[in-house]
Amino acid sequence: MNNLFGYVPGNSVIHRLNPVTKIFLTIAVCVAAFISDNLAYLAGLLAVDLLIGFAAGVPGKTLTIFRGLLKIALFLFALQILMIRRGTPVFWIITDEGLLTAVRVVLRLVIVCMPLALVLAVTRISDLTNSFVQVLHVPYQYAFTLSTAIRFIPQFLEEMNGIMEAQTARGVAFDKARGLKKFSMILPLCAPLLISSVRRTDQTAAAAELRGFRLRTRQSAYKRYPFTALDLAAAVFSAALIAGALLI
Amino acid sequence: MIAIRDLTFTYKDEKNPALREVSLDIPEGGFLGVTGPAGAGKTTLIRAVSGMIPHLYPGDFYGSVTVNGMDTFETSLAEISRQVGTVFQDVDSQIISPMVEDELLYGLENFGVPREEIPERIGEALRKVGIPDLRYRDIASLSGGQRQKTAVAAIIALRPRVLLLDEPTGELDPHSSLQVFSLLKELNEEQGVTVIVVEQKIMLLCEFAKQLAVMNGGRIAFQGETREVLAHAEEMQDLGINIPRVTTLSRALSAGTGREQPVCINLDEAEAMVRGLMK
Amino acid sequence: MIRLENVSFSYRGQGPSVQNVSFHAEKGEFIAILGANGAGKTTTVRLIDGLIKPDSGKVLIHGADTAESSVSERARRVGFLFQNPDRQICRNTVREEILFGLRSVRGDEKEEALQARTDEILKDFSFTGDEEPFSLSRGQRQRVALASILAVEPEILILDEPTTGLDYLECCHIMDRIRRMNEEQQVTVVMVCHDMEVVLDYAKRALVMAGGRLLADGGVREIFRDAALMEAASILPPQMIGLSLRLGKGFEQCDSTDTIVQTVLDARRGGAKHE
Repeated sequence: MNNLFGYVPGNSVIHRLNPVTKIFLTIAVCVAAFISDNLAYLAGLLAVDLLIGFAAGVPGKTLTIFRGLLKIALFLFALQILMIRRGTPVFWIITDEGLLTAVRVVLRLVIVCMPLALVLAVTRISDLTNSFVQVLHVPYQYAFTLSTAIRFIPQFLEEMNGIMEAQTARGVAFDKARGLKKFSMILPLCAPLLISSVRRTDQTAAAAELRGFRLRTRQSAYKRYPFTALDLAAAVFSAALIAGALLI
Repeated sequence: MIAIRDLTFTYKDEKNPALREVSLDIPEGGFLGVTGPAGAGKTTLIRAVSGMIPHLYPGDFYGSVTVNGMDTFETSLAEISRQVGTVFQDVDSQIISPMVEDELLYGLENFGVPREEIPERIGEALRKVGIPDLRYRDIASLSGGQRQKTAVAAIIALRPRVLLLDEPTGELDPHSSLQVFSLLKELNEEQGVTVIVVEQKIMLLCEFAKQLAVMNGGRIAFQGETREVLAHAEEMQDLGINIPRVTTLSRALSAGTGREQPVCINLDEAEAMVRGLMK
Repeated sequence: MIRLENVSFSYRGQGPSVQNVSFHAEKGEFIAILGANGAGKTTTVRLIDGLIKPDSGKVLIHGADTAESSVSERARRVGFLFQNPDRQICRNTVREEILFGLRSVRGDEKEEALQARTDEILKDFSFTGDEEPFSLSRGQRQRVALASILAVEPEILILDEPTTGLDYLECCHIMDRIRRMNEEQQVTVVMVCHDMEVVLDYAKRALVMAGGRLLADGGVREIFRDAALMEAASILPPQMIGLSLRLGKGFEQCDSTDTIVQTVLDARRGGAKHE
């Protein structure tokens, strides 16, 4: 759970892409998924997702994310086929159009979410924000807010685990509760957690100011993010994905 | 280097001042230890010297703080921070980056340290705090002590003229605490860095600090050379401040032998005193 | 009371944190676990409370294997005071906080009994009960956390660096209260602590750890006098024991300012007679 969204160090083809290219590729996959209605093409996009994950050398993580998404997808699938009444009934209240729409929605969901999660596995947050500032001229304040928010996730989880552990140790039956019950037990404990988190982000902002936050310019970052032939290839591939969606 | 004059500061929305008529002078190359009970105003003092007060924490500000000739009230925070490095008490809130190397890069990049100098600065700072092997690690995977050392490294990489630390050894074991203080001593003696460190571990202060300030209720109760301040051991104890056992020993030996003995502040002195009395 | 048999544990994806540790604690003992950061101290106390289960070996509390019962059930008998009280405190007033802890483990008892117990512990800690924990100081919040644990009347108390971030007075308050529990109710205390002066003042037995292994187990004073052991575990002994070791002959029994002063005065008196 803790490192589901964490960075996995590596030197794969995907790792070596410019962070901006990775985001571009992600967006291309998403756009293609929304343009295309062709089931075969959507399945192909899903295969592309998985291939990217494997090429990045994080097959285990790719499958974990995939499995996680499948669970949500199944739930959505069930919801869709029960809700949609148009079309010819195939079985009970389920219609052919319902089935078709449900499959598309679920495929799109998985196709779109996979690369969003994978990007964080193959890109350091600092590289992401730095390249956005350097290459895309995004104002640094926005980039900083984003990176602080993402850096905040593991801290938040760590704190939440700490709280659950402390509460279990004093007899609150977290270790026996599951699912919704557990969630309803955690909820009241989150209030103080949020207060302390907000207090912390104030201090983090102060810490940044004390290390020259306001002096930072577009060219400050030590690392440079040049585009290479690899990026060109990825860009062509991205464009092809969208073109394919339009044509097929 | 640092001159605080009659500083009284009340945080916005608070009734009582956090600092009351504080005056303090720290010469260039000074090493001041600050101690005192919780709520005495130690952290507020650090914020005042770093310029966070008044720039980030609004409130009623009377008196003045001057750091290396800059009046903190009139100088921008960025300008002050070029010379003053601060390590917070809550290390997790101080850390900005997800990875150790990025954390060190951050300040170096912002203050415009020349590119070719940066790798050496990072390597050196990590070596000095004893964590060169953690350079490429995720900060989330580090222990509390390792994070504390990372935070210190990120500040010393900037080579500040003044170094402020708010309980920098909170998460550290005695051995690592000693390492951090040895590093402060090295920076202080070899590079003339002025150090102010807030610390509960009085024995470390006695061993390393040149001057000591004891705070209580927003005021400075005692200040001066470490040994002079510890001459007030009894009054300090009344304020609830821990006294090194060697100091207690030297006082008890004065009483026991009926002859006034000098105040001891470390083991070497205590050993010499006992050996002298045994002759 | 507490028995660890050849316990080993490693966190996922990391080297072993605790390796083959065995020890046994009787009712009413006051034990400190000593060692450098990363020596495995916190992991050991977490194993004792069953917050984590051993990879191999057994942890027995009152003869029951922690792997076979839940932490929350054990909370009736085992109290755990963490370094950070804010993870424990979750109610708006001190009274509510104490009641919350009581209800979660002694919910089978009558409400009046729990209320009475709350009044008792509030008085004991000089709280009115209406204080809001989050407006109190860190030291006071740690006292609130301790009060809500002691209210339950556990038989075993585990402390993981309970005095971090506290000033000297706050530290003394907490530790004195724990000593009283230990002496009056024979509560078994296992404490992780970095302040060797506190260890010397309060604990009676010490376990020394390094690199996940148990290096030594014995009386606090004997442990601190073992210079080679202190070196191996990167521990600095308390000042007065350190001094007596340096002074050597004649001071072997000294462990406090009083005993050293006494030894000096005795020697001077003896010396004076000879003249």
